[in-house]
Amino acid sequence: MANVPIMVASNPGGSARRGRLLLFIGLAMLVSMLVVTIFGPQIAPHSAIAFSPDSLAGPSAEHWLGTDSIGRDVLSRLIIGGRTTLLITFVAVSLAVAAGLVLGLTSGYVGGLTDEIIMRALDVIFAFPVFLLAIAVVAALGPTVPNLILTIAIVYTPTMARVVRGPVLSVKRWDHVEAARSVGVGEFQIATRHVLPMVISPILVQTSLTLANTIFTVTALSFLGIGPPPPDPNWGGMLSEARQFMELAPLTVIGPATAIVFATLTFIVLANGLREWLDVGNR
Amino acid sequence: MIRVVLVRLGWMLPILLGVSLVAFTLMRALPGDFAQAAAGTTDISPEALQTIRRELGLDLPIWAQYLHWLGQLAVGDLGTSFVTDKPVWGELLPRLAVTFELTFLAGLMAMVLGVGSGLASARLRGRTDWVVRGINGLWLAVPNFVVATLIVLLAGLYFPELGIFNYVPFFEDPIGNLGSMLLPALSLALAVSVTISENTRAAVLEVASQDFVMVARAKGLGAGAVLRDYLVRNALTPVITVTGLQLAQLLGGSILIETIFTIPGMGQYLFDSITSRDYPVIQAIVLVAAVIVLLVNVLVDVAYARADARVSYG
Repeated sequence: MANVPIMVASNPGGSARRGRLLLFIGLAMLVSMLVVTIFGPQIAPHSAIAFSPDSLAGPSAEHWLGTDSIGRDVLSRLIIGGRTTLLITFVAVSLAVAAGLVLGLTSGYVGGLTDEIIMRALDVIFAFPVFLLAIAVVAALGPTVPNLILTIAIVYTPTMARVVRGPVLSVKRWDHVEAARSVGVGEFQIATRHVLPMVISPILVQTSLTLANTIFTVTALSFLGIGPPPPDPNWGGMLSEARQFMELAPLTVIGPATAIVFATLTFIVLANGLREWLDVGNR
Repeated sequence: MIRVVLVRLGWMLPILLGVSLVAFTLMRALPGDFAQAAAGTTDISPEALQTIRRELGLDLPIWAQYLHWLGQLAVGDLGTSFVTDKPVWGELLPRLAVTFELTFLAGLMAMVLGVGSGLASARLRGRTDWVVRGINGLWLAVPNFVVATLIVLLAGLYFPELGIFNYVPFFEDPIGNLGSMLLPALSLALAVSVTISENTRAAVLEVASQDFVMVARAKGLGAGAVLRDYLVRNALTPVITVTGLQLAQLLGGSILIETIFTIPGMGQYLFDSITSRDYPVIQAIVLVAAVIVLLVNVLVDVAYARADARVSYG
């Protein structure tokens, strides 16, 4: 479901050189985004939550992007709001990657009944539209930051596990694995030291795509009113709040919209750069 | 062909059971008391709470509750709304129809836009390819609710007389209904059309590089015939799959779009139920959506088998 980008089966016309360029652009976008959010409290010109009588003001030297319906500075809210949105995204995706790695590696490497059980269980989660499942879980558990992180980690784990499992199935038959086994290396060591490093490229690409998807899911949940609780700002919530008066102050909508698109674009560019550079799905 | 369908449907059963288990557990994992949620208030005497518990069968052991709930599902009983006290199924059905219409229109638009631009991109190459891919890359990063909000903003700023929030029921005025669905469907279709476009392009390019296409061209077939009989036909298979798989995205997206454009579909129903903490409705919608996605996946598999002679399910 709310999977914004889906992996294209093959990617004709890709090249390592263009991959490097995309990767460079993506990294530059990521670093600038991280710098702004990490140093947000120092950079933001105003308080993100303080009201002022000057509501729905247009852009000025004082408020570069104007103010919202209760007079809060839009630029400051965007900068601070990015912290919440990106924090949830990064923590949730790290958890999903970790869980997906463990499940996918176990499933693919051990094989047999273990593989069947893990994969069928993940199929069940797979059957739900991601976004609907996320809504139901957050609605049931209550919209707090830890719950949002947990939910998003759960819904993206199956995809991650599948991406890890696929290549593991073939790599575990390679000669160097047999060689390691013949000199008495333990199974756990083989799985983590000799198989895992060989499947790292698709994992990197998928992680980047999942980050893009997660930006969508986090902001969309907040947009529906089941995001991080107020008064701390977040991009999805800002977009939703601004709709009421958007004809009077278009920047209150365009600001968060641009932030969401920029963040998503960053991870898509990174994913495409990684894919072309590492030549995944192009073999 | 019938066997293919039966085998696939048979596989669905265990997954459906798993899905129902997840939906059941979800609603039992609620913080606080389910009976209290059913009462809709915390200000309630312990005796009254006990009565509700008995009515809902909450005093039974958990596995008995699950089996009971499953039995009700099997006869088409999706439970009773906490808010209206009416069966969920009766309230869900008309809304489901609205969502289907929206999803269908969006899917159609996405197909036309996606296959069209993907074909153009792959066949014309050069600048067209460059433009299509550039636009695709950018659109991929614009979530559907952002598109919808921006459409509403633009309409409000420049065409205030348009009245895009006036949803018209289909049976009152079919033409007006289509008109009111156009912009919502478009905002839903754009992201999906990008995926279809990229996959069409990749599939056509892959087919075009194969020998039989060169042979067809060498024996003097016209460009139109090659495109129709060789390229499009063979490139269709991955496109069908991708389009089918995008349905889940369309269903999820419709929640957002319906909320923005105030269309009384399943998405808005879910949204309202979340606001009023009407858990049976949330549970029913999640379940119905999962079943729809599963069914579509089967359809995709069947369509795939029909379109590609190499695929066979023995």
